[in-house]
Amino acid sequence: MIKNIRPDNYQHLLTLIDQETFYVFAGGTDLMIRKRQWQGAERRFDKPIVYISHLRELQGIREFNDHYEIMACATQTDVAESTILPEYVKEPISKMATPPIRNLATIGGNVVNDASVGDSIPLFFALNAEVVLRSVHGTRQLKMHEFIIGKYKTALAQNEILEKIIVPKEEIDGFHYRKTGLRKASILSKLSVYMLYKGRGKKLEDIRVVVGAVNDIPIRLRTAEKSFLENRDVDKLVDAYRQQMNGKDDKRSTKEYREEITCRLIEYFLGEVLS
Amino acid sequence: MHNVSFILNGEAVTVDTSLSKRLLDVLREDFKLIGTKEGCGEGECGACVVFLDGELVNSCLLPMNSVVDKEVLTIEGLAKTNRYQEIEDAFVDAGAVQCGFCTPGMVMATEYLLNKYKRPTEEQIQEGLSGNICRCTGYQTILTAVKTLFEEVDSL
Repeated sequence: MIKNIRPDNYQHLLTLIDQETFYVFAGGTDLMIRKRQWQGAERRFDKPIVYISHLRELQGIREFNDHYEIMACATQTDVAESTILPEYVKEPISKMATPPIRNLATIGGNVVNDASVGDSIPLFFALNAEVVLRSVHGTRQLKMHEFIIGKYKTALAQNEILEKIIVPKEEIDGFHYRKTGLRKASILSKLSVYMLYKGRGKKLEDIRVVVGAVNDIPIRLRTAEKSFLENRDVDKLVDAYRQQMNGKDDKRSTKEYREEITCRLIEYFLGEVLS
Repeated sequence: MHNVSFILNGEAVTVDTSLSKRLLDVLREDFKLIGTKEGCGEGECGACVVFLDGELVNSCLLPMNSVVDKEVLTIEGLAKTNRYQEIEDAFVDAGAVQCGFCTPGMVMATEYLLNKYKRPTEEQIQEGLSGNICRCTGYQTILTAVKTLFEEVDSL
């Protein structure tokens, strides 16, 4: 029988994962599906499970002078309905899954799973977010784009927990977000485009463009963003993103559809920002 | 195995179970509460939704670890309330039940909407029901039933 452990507290959890390899179980909305079995049967777990969603140290959203902290076990509903987070953080999360799933699914789970279709990750790329990883031996803080290193592949060590996500507070004047799928709710994105900006039209001061669900990891081209602020050349920026797209046909969509719609969305959003 | 204690439809209960066993299976097998259905088994169809501490959740994705010391309300618990009767009447009047398999989940999602909004937009109602799939595709009558409930609240 597979061992199931409900740690008494955070320190207990850190000690456990330092000694043994576990499935770290937060909301379970992904893991319970991956390990599914017939009705009534035990899920198909092949190594011990340690549960973390009840640990208070990993719950909630906090506001500080210059940043927000989204704890790993904050649910998608906690974020989507937060009274302290700005709309440009809440909106993309509110488009994920369905209400009952958002009540269980955690933000940390979406990031650590690191699926190429994880809809929270492009958002965190654009927000210059960082992750705090903790083990019994100490903490590490990495930028989100350093943490996400491939499809289903992060920099998280076996004895570490993603504790929280740090989102800097910044002057953002607006955002655009669009994802496409076969229906609005509970769907794996074919593609997504998230754009943040400060100023607009001739007074545009900052622009960030992130493409999700096309490549294995989100695409953000900082050099191209910077060039755009100087030359305002929409075609050039769209082309820079097009060059980086290397997805392939799969059950969600075709490569051609994905790339074409992504480019059109970037172009449309840039047009709105420049108007 | 663990002794998991929680409140089920208003009563304190304890069950000897694995922490990874799904709440859905415990409800149906240990407590014989078979109003909560298993459709897809992966959180897509909403036939299994219950309230956990007042939040609508998919019991097919919920391990018993998440239920420890919490409050669970199933369709059987909701059926004892006056509000359930209003929802049932609205569903019957609108002809919102065909095969009936999705109905417990739809009723629970309707209760969620009634708790969350006083006067929801059509889009909010659709979003509130977006976690529930009707395999007979009788969505229009279900939407009519839910809208009627809010109109009745307005007329009171």
